[in-house]
Amino acid sequence: MRRGLGVAMAIRKDLTEAHDRAWDRLGRAGTWLNSAEKVSIAEETRSALACIACANRKEALTPEANVGVHNSASDLHPDWVDVIHRITTDANRLTKRWFDRVVPEVLSTEKYVETIGIIAETIAVDRFHVALGLPLRNLPIPKPGEPSRESVASAREAGAWVPMVNPDDLSDADPAAAYAMYEGRGGANIHRALSLVPACVSGFFDLDDAMYLPDAMLRRFDIEPRAISHSQIELLAARVSALNRCLY
Amino acid sequence: MLLRGSGLHAGATFSDAAVVDRGAESGVPWGGLLLAFAEAAVANAPDLAEQRQAVMNELGENAMIDAAAVIGIFQAVVKIADATGIPLEDPKAEISSNFREELGLNAYKEE
Repeated sequence: MRRGLGVAMAIRKDLTEAHDRAWDRLGRAGTWLNSAEKVSIAEETRSALACIACANRKEALTPEANVGVHNSASDLHPDWVDVIHRITTDANRLTKRWFDRVVPEVLSTEKYVETIGIIAETIAVDRFHVALGLPLRNLPIPKPGEPSRESVASAREAGAWVPMVNPDDLSDADPAAAYAMYEGRGGANIHRALSLVPACVSGFFDLDDAMYLPDAMLRRFDIEPRAISHSQIELLAARVSALNRCLY
Repeated sequence: MLLRGSGLHAGATFSDAAVVDRGAESGVPWGGLLLAFAEAAVANAPDLAEQRQAVMNELGENAMIDAAAVIGIFQAVVKIADATGIPLEDPKAEISSNFREELGLNAYKEE
């Protein structure tokens, strides 16, 4: 049971467990980032929502406008903070030109992808809590450990800004995590987007399975596994995407 | 596309217009209520508690929680799509070309 605004809610167990796993991942060293960096990214994802510079930029005619210094909550380099705040608050106005300025000047491609994965998981869990009027989860305390630095040999340029892995291209040169990330997934571009860092794909879609629907259920219109129907789920998904002005 | 698919299965025609036009009727049961909840949640608007309570009253707690989960995860999915610059797959682009034009979705990439 979770309590928000004085009302106790019985959140289904698989959903709470998925959030627990996300927070456990967040507190551990990742593939290219250590645990302190990961938790700092989550802190910045939160601070971006109250950042005056971000609010000013969102109002500006161009995302290139000089809007001042971000309200930063961490020791991350200011350029990295800017990346996190832009993705969190003004993602639909990101451009390839901006990406080319950031990668690899500010972040390696791998660290950029892992940063997106952490932002996404933080937003998913936080915005669920906001929607229900629940207090945000405390961020985890970073645990000791080193990033695995496991690269994916089969990643290729495929029309996105970042290299992606086509499931058909996986080979013995790839780590087991690269095979695992597509298990039960269709391999659409949204699955491939973070595939340069397989742990990010597995992590995010572990959350997605619990918060949205597992891939296998997407077109099983004869089965309604949630308390709202497929049509209600898809209406919500489409509206949230439109409110965020997301083309994909 | 999945919204249309779910409508076909249900023998109903759901309107995509409600996705971009708040005044349009989707045809989805309790669609207006759910959209109002989504809009309030995305904006963290002052009426969020009211919209949440409305969903709770009409559809129940489990539905409210599942709606909140969809709202949460899709605010994250869009960040992944936007920040990685993934293209829409050709088959999806082809199938959706008509309604993307109708709804003005193609303008999103030109802003």
